[in-house]
Amino acid sequence: MIRHLPFLLALWKANLISAMEYRVSFLTQMVGMMLNNAFYFVFWIIFFDRFEQVQGWNLLDMFFLFGVVATGFGAGTYLFGNALRLSSLIAEGQLDYYLSLPRPVLLHALASRSNASSAGDFTYGLLSFAAAAVYSDSFSGLMLLRFLLASLAAVAVLISFLVLVQSLTFWIGNAPMLTQNAFNAIITFSLYPITLFDGTAKLLLFTLVPAAFIGALPAEFVRQFDLGQLAQICGGSAIFLSLAVFVFHRGLRRYESGNAIQVRT
Amino acid sequence: MPAVSVRNLRKTFQTKRKAAGLRGALAALFRPAFQTLDAVRGISFDMEEGELLGFIGPNGAGKSTTIKILTGILHPTSGEASVLGRVPWRQRQELAFQIGSVFGQRPQLWYHLPAIDTFYLFGKIYELDEADLRRRIALLAEAFEIEQLLETPVRKLSLGQRMRCEVAASLLHKPRILLLDEPSIGLDVVAKQRLRATIQRMNEIEGVGVLLTSHDAGDIEALCKRVIIINDGEIVYRDKVSTLRRRYLTVKHVDVRYNEQLSPDFSLPGVEMLKVGRFGAKMRFDARVTPVEPVIGALAAAGGLADVTVSEPTLEEVIGAIYARAEAENE
Amino acid sequence: MSSRAARTRSAATGWRRASIKASAGKYWAVFRTQLVNSLAYPMDLLGRSLLIVLFMWIFMNLWRVTYGSTGARSIAGLTLADTMWYLMMAEAVMLSKRELSDTITEQVKDGSVAYLLNKPFNFILYHFAAGLGDTILAFAGNLAIGSAVVWLMAGPPPGLAGWLLAAVAVVFAWLLDFCFSALIGLSAFVVEETNAFRWIYQKLLLVLGGLLIPLDFFPAWLQTVAFNLPFAWIIYGPARLFVDPSLTRLGAVLTQQAIWLAVFGCAVWLIYRWAVARLAVNGG
Repeated sequence: MIRHLPFLLALWKANLISAMEYRVSFLTQMVGMMLNNAFYFVFWIIFFDRFEQVQGWNLLDMFFLFGVVATGFGAGTYLFGNALRLSSLIAEGQLDYYLSLPRPVLLHALASRSNASSAGDFTYGLLSFAAAAVYSDSFSGLMLLRFLLASLAAVAVLISFLVLVQSLTFWIGNAPMLTQNAFNAIITFSLYPITLFDGTAKLLLFTLVPAAFIGALPAEFVRQFDLGQLAQICGGSAIFLSLAVFVFHRGLRRYESGNAIQVRT
Repeated sequence: MPAVSVRNLRKTFQTKRKAAGLRGALAALFRPAFQTLDAVRGISFDMEEGELLGFIGPNGAGKSTTIKILTGILHPTSGEASVLGRVPWRQRQELAFQIGSVFGQRPQLWYHLPAIDTFYLFGKIYELDEADLRRRIALLAEAFEIEQLLETPVRKLSLGQRMRCEVAASLLHKPRILLLDEPSIGLDVVAKQRLRATIQRMNEIEGVGVLLTSHDAGDIEALCKRVIIINDGEIVYRDKVSTLRRRYLTVKHVDVRYNEQLSPDFSLPGVEMLKVGRFGAKMRFDARVTPVEPVIGALAAAGGLADVTVSEPTLEEVIGAIYARAEAENE
Repeated sequence: MSSRAARTRSAATGWRRASIKASAGKYWAVFRTQLVNSLAYPMDLLGRSLLIVLFMWIFMNLWRVTYGSTGARSIAGLTLADTMWYLMMAEAVMLSKRELSDTITEQVKDGSVAYLLNKPFNFILYHFAAGLGDTILAFAGNLAIGSAVVWLMAGPPPGLAGWLLAAVAVVFAWLLDFCFSALIGLSAFVVEETNAFRWIYQKLLLVLGGLLIPLDFFPAWLQTVAFNLPFAWIIYGPARLFVDPSLTRLGAVLTQQAIWLAVFGCAVWLIYRWAVARLAVNGG
C-alpha cells in the first residue's frame, strides 16, 4: 500500500483536474449533497425533540453517528469512486485497462474515479462531527484522533462490502438490483440507532450487512475510548478488507473481458 | 529464447443462455442453461524479440482473446504461454513493466484531460523518473507528430490523432514488446498510413517487438514480416508475408488492350473471360492450372497489343481464399 | 380491431373529436407499452420491491421501541399499527414513482429533446404516460410485499374504504409529483447540474412530506408549515387517508392537491412553452 501511495496521489490528482473541467457541476453537487444530508438530519431533530431518546440513543449520538458515516462514506466514495460501479466495470469488460498496467487491479480500478457528490458527504460529515464535539463539550485532540481512525475503518468496511457484493458479478453476471439493494441496505442500517435491533438482527449487522462497522461501532468509539471496541474496529476492517481482496481476485480468474460480449451479440 | 512463446493455448467462455420473455427469465433463474464457446482452440506459435508479427482473422476469430491472455487480462482455460520469460496471468504486474498494449476499442487516455496529463500519470504508474519521462515524452511527441496535440483535451482530438497519442502513451516506459489490438479500427486511409509509418519507425529505432491484430490486411501487409492467420480459434496459416503472397498469387487478373478490333467470340483455353469489348478484354485464370506463358503468347498472337496489365490479388483476397479452403477442409 | 374501427368512424364524424380520441389513444398506447416492458423483467420488479421490506422492518423496530418508551397506546391519535400502515403506504407511493427528472434532464442535455419536441405528441404528457405504466406495476409490487410484511409485524390492514380512498388520492399525488419532476428536469435548460435539486426535493418529501414520520407527530407550528406546502399532499395525504378514511378527509386532501396541481401544472406548462420557443430560436 505504502509503495503505491505516490501512484494513488497521482491518480487522485488526475481525478481532481478532471473534475475541475466541470467545476460548476462539481460544486453544485457538493453543496447539494450537503444540503440533502442536512435536510435528512432534520427528521432526527424533530424526532428527538418529541421522543428525547430511543433506548439510550439521543440526538447527540445521532450527530456523532452522522459524522462518522458521512465522513467515511464521503471519503470512501470520493477516493474510490468506482466502488459504486464496479459491477458494470466487470460486466462490460472495462477491467482490461487496469489489467494491462503494472499496478494492483482492484486498487487502481477503485481509485480511478471520484464521485463529486461524495465531497459533499465528506464535508457534511466533518461538520456533523464538529457540531457533535461542540455540543457534547468534550472535544479533545484524542477525540479527533479517534474520529480519524473511526472514519478510516468506516471507509475500509464500506468499500470492502461494496467490492464483495459486486465481485459476485464474476459469477452471476451483472445484477444491478442486487447491488442497489445491498447498497441501500448498508447505508440505511448504518444511519439508524443500533439499539433498535435485537440479537439476531445485530449479528446480521456485524456480518452479512456490516453496517455496525460503518456506523454505530465507530461512532461510539469516537465518543469514548474503549479497548474492546478498538480491537473490534481494527479486526473487522482487516477481515472485511482481506475477504474483499480475496474474493475479487478469485473472481478475476473468471473475468471474461469485453470480447465475450461482442461474440454473444 | 523467443520473446513470446505459446503452446496449446485454449480459452473457453461459458455464457448463460436466456430464453426470451417471462417464462425464460424464470426458467433461467432455477435452471440456467449454459453455452460454451471456444474462443481459442489450442494454438501454438513463437515470436522473436524485435519481430513484427501480424495476427489476422475475422471478428470473433480469437485474436483479441489471445492478446488478452498474453497481457494477463484473461486466464486461459488450458495451455502454456510465456512472454519475456514470464507467465502473463501469474506475473501480470511484473510483465506489465516490460510490455505496452493498445486496445483500439478501449481508450486508455483520460477523456476529459489533455493527453499530457495521462502521460504524467503513466509516469507514476510505471515508476519513471521525472526527467527521463520529460525526455521520453519529447522524443515520442516528435516521432508521432503530436507535439501540438498534447495540451488539448482528448475528447477534442480526431480519432487518428487520439490513436497516435494512445500508441505513444503505451511506449512511455520503453516496452520490449508492443501488443496492438485493432489499432487502426475506425481510422481513415491517411490516418492508418501515418500510424503504420510511426509504428514501423519505433520498431527500427528501438527494436520494440510488435504483435499486431487487425482485420484489415493492409495493416499487416504494410507492417509485418510474418503473419499468422487465425479463424474460428485455430491457426489456419502461418508464414512470411512475402511467401504468403507468392504461394497464393496463383490467380492472375489480366487486362489487355489491342490496336485493332477483336472478334466478338474471343476466348482462350483455361481462361475465364470477365469482359470482352471491341478493343480489349478483362480475364482471370489460375496459374497452377493454366501456365502464364502460353496465355501471354496467345494474347500476343491475337493481334497488335496496345497494353497488358497482369495484377496479383490483394492480401485481402488471398486471406479470403485461405478461409474458404479451411472451411472446405472442415466439411 | 374494434378501437381502430371506432377511430375511423369518429374521423368521419368530425376531426375535433377524432383528434382528442386519437391523442388519448396515443398516450394510452405509450402507457401500455411501458407496462408490458416492465412486466418483461419480473426479477427487476421484485428486486425493486425488496427495499420496502428493509424500510418496514427498520421502522417497526424504531416505532415499537418509541411507542414502548412513551407507554401510550396511541400517539397523536395513531396506534403503532396505524403508524406502520401509514408508513407502508407512504413508502409505497415514494418507492414506486419513477425518476422522470433524470430522464428529462438527460434528454435536455444531450439535445434529443429537440427531436422529441417535433414528434406529434406532447413531450410532457408522453413522459407522464410512460412513467405511469412503470409506476403502477411497481406500486402493486410494493403494496403486496409491504402489506405482507406489515401484516405479519403489526396486525391487519385498514378496511376497504382506506384502500379505495387512498387509491384516488395516490393518482393525484403522482400527478403532483410529476409536476415537480418535470420542473427539475426542465431546469436543465438553465443549469448544468440538476442532481442537487432532485436530492433536495426528495428530502423535502422525506421530512415535510411525512415519509419517515406522520406529520401529526410534529410540533404544532411545524405541522402548520407542512400542511401549507405541497409536499404533504404527495405523501402524507394519501397515507393518512389510508389509515383513517373519511369523506371529509378525502375532500380536504383532494382540495389541497387540486390547488397545488393548478399552481405547478401552470408552471410546468409555461416553462415548457418557454423552452420550446427557446429551442425553436436556438435550434437545440
